[in-house]
Amino acid sequence: MEKVLIKKKQSLGYSIKRNLNASKFLIMMIIPAIVYYVIFCYIPMYGVLIAFTKYSPRLGITGSIANNWIGFENFATVFKLPGFWQAFTNTLLIGSVKVIISFLSAVIVALLINELRMRVFKKTVQIVVTFPHFLSWVVVASLFMLLLGENGGISKAIVASGGDPLTFFSDGKKFLALIFSSDIWKEAGWSSIIYIATMAGISSDLYEAANIDGASRLQKIWHITLPGIRPTAILLLIMSVGGVLSAGFDQIYNMTSQLRNATVLGSVQIIDTLVYQGSLGTGAMTFGESTALGLFKSVIGFALVITTDRIAKLCGERGII
Amino acid sequence: MSKIKISKLPLARREKVSPSNRFGGFDVFCFIILLVFALLIIFPFYYLFIVSITPQEIYANNSFILWTPEISFDAYKTVFTEKSIWNGFGITCILLFGGTLYQMFFTVITGYALSRQKWVGKNFVMNMILVTMFFGGGLIPYYVLIKSLNMTDTIWVMIIPGAIDTFNMLLMRNYFASLPKELEESAKIDGANDIQIFARIFLPLSLPMLATVGLFFAVGNWNSWYNGMLFNTKESLKTLQQVLQDVIYTPASTIPNPNPTRINTESLKMAAIFFTIIPMMLFYPFLQRFFVKGIVVGAIKG
Repeated sequence: MEKVLIKKKQSLGYSIKRNLNASKFLIMMIIPAIVYYVIFCYIPMYGVLIAFTKYSPRLGITGSIANNWIGFENFATVFKLPGFWQAFTNTLLIGSVKVIISFLSAVIVALLINELRMRVFKKTVQIVVTFPHFLSWVVVASLFMLLLGENGGISKAIVASGGDPLTFFSDGKKFLALIFSSDIWKEAGWSSIIYIATMAGISSDLYEAANIDGASRLQKIWHITLPGIRPTAILLLIMSVGGVLSAGFDQIYNMTSQLRNATVLGSVQIIDTLVYQGSLGTGAMTFGESTALGLFKSVIGFALVITTDRIAKLCGERGII
Repeated sequence: MSKIKISKLPLARREKVSPSNRFGGFDVFCFIILLVFALLIIFPFYYLFIVSITPQEIYANNSFILWTPEISFDAYKTVFTEKSIWNGFGITCILLFGGTLYQMFFTVITGYALSRQKWVGKNFVMNMILVTMFFGGGLIPYYVLIKSLNMTDTIWVMIIPGAIDTFNMLLMRNYFASLPKELEESAKIDGANDIQIFARIFLPLSLPMLATVGLFFAVGNWNSWYNGMLFNTKESLKTLQQVLQDVIYTPASTIPNPNPTRINTESLKMAAIFFTIIPMMLFYPFLQRFFVKGIVVGAIKG
């Protein structure tokens, strides 16, 4: 018995050595990646412990942990902040509405493009609708401001014909609608690509069989195309649930003129913008408090991914983890 | 050849017979909705361009500009002679070429290492990377880290932290993994070493995916402003996007209007926006297929 064990150990050590030798080149190639992920991802993960300290830049992270540990005090302070619950509900609202509308708009655009039979037009439309995805929110926000702002082109036309200027950038509710529509404008075409590719992969036999049975176009969409993209749709939905709490810092930062448009900021302030504004912007929060707020967001986001993944698996779908 | 013809013939006939395949109301419906959507996307760009070439007297006297009888490139002249714009353009070009090369190098070698035969700790490293997709430290720990690395107010802060993009790395890894293993074995028999196998066999075969990943990085660098906004306070380090933010939100101080009777401030803003998007507009129609390939392969395998 003992002999066998020893022999196994030796062979294990030997095989590791041989593997190291044979994979020298690959291991050399992976070293930069290990260094990179440790520095830029894992050290910040360790850094979340700032949330439990009274952080002092002089002491640094380790020093603050050793000397200024205050437990959950920062969390208690953050939850009592006047802007916290608003930011939290805004984040949930904006994030979940965005998941739903971006999913629906992508599927609808994909269906329309898939059903289109004019080749040249189809190609052109695809190029046009996917283009805005590659613009930064700086550009997109400027476009919307110059067109729909109070002094923008369309307001100018309305005022000239005797009406009132548009209030998209001064009325909270309308601004929220603008946040959603600009998101569709920018991303619907691009997100549709993956569904179009999935639709192209559906076997044409199914459509031919449906033709023989005399199915109409809508019936084919309902009974063949939509079930055909179901696995992809569920997979992408699960993946987007993790992002619900990242409701779009870039978009909101730029659409509110770098968070300066105070009249509408209240209705779109999300956790990410609050963390930024509180700590690096106006500085109303300590580093400990804003880290606590960020950590609160990450933990809930992580829990959301796990939960959706479990639910999807329970329903018999393929999960992601 | 003959096989294809036989299978195609009945299908074509069936299309004629089946009522649901006739060109009808539904096609018109799809066409109109997509046309409206496409026009909604094109219109802001069109409007932007027209206003940018409209002289002040026409802009001021007309309610809504859809066409200008007099074309003036004065706004562009002002933008093109503005130092801050060219400075931003220079910084962005450094990111675009230097940054993209740097990111490609680290992302590609990581993807390659994770795509080849099993080595000790491969699964561990893979899991270590995947975890970062679901959980991160957040803004403040990142900010503290960059501060402690003394990278603030340098151009490095916009390049170094972006070395590896996990999504692009996985794209590369999946592509390398899809190439046949026999390539490596036969090259080894011919006496090629590891570096030769990577550089002479796998890299040339992966050109389409390298193009895709390179373009994703290039677009990201062209649009870069976030790290600059967080960590750089120097005017001379502002990227083009940051300069554009200044132009849009504080136009008077960024691009002084040299001739208010001739140029409208809106025209100036629009000329500046156009300056930042024109390269994308010119290249995108030809490069679209690479982007599409990336997202399709990535999502199906990822």
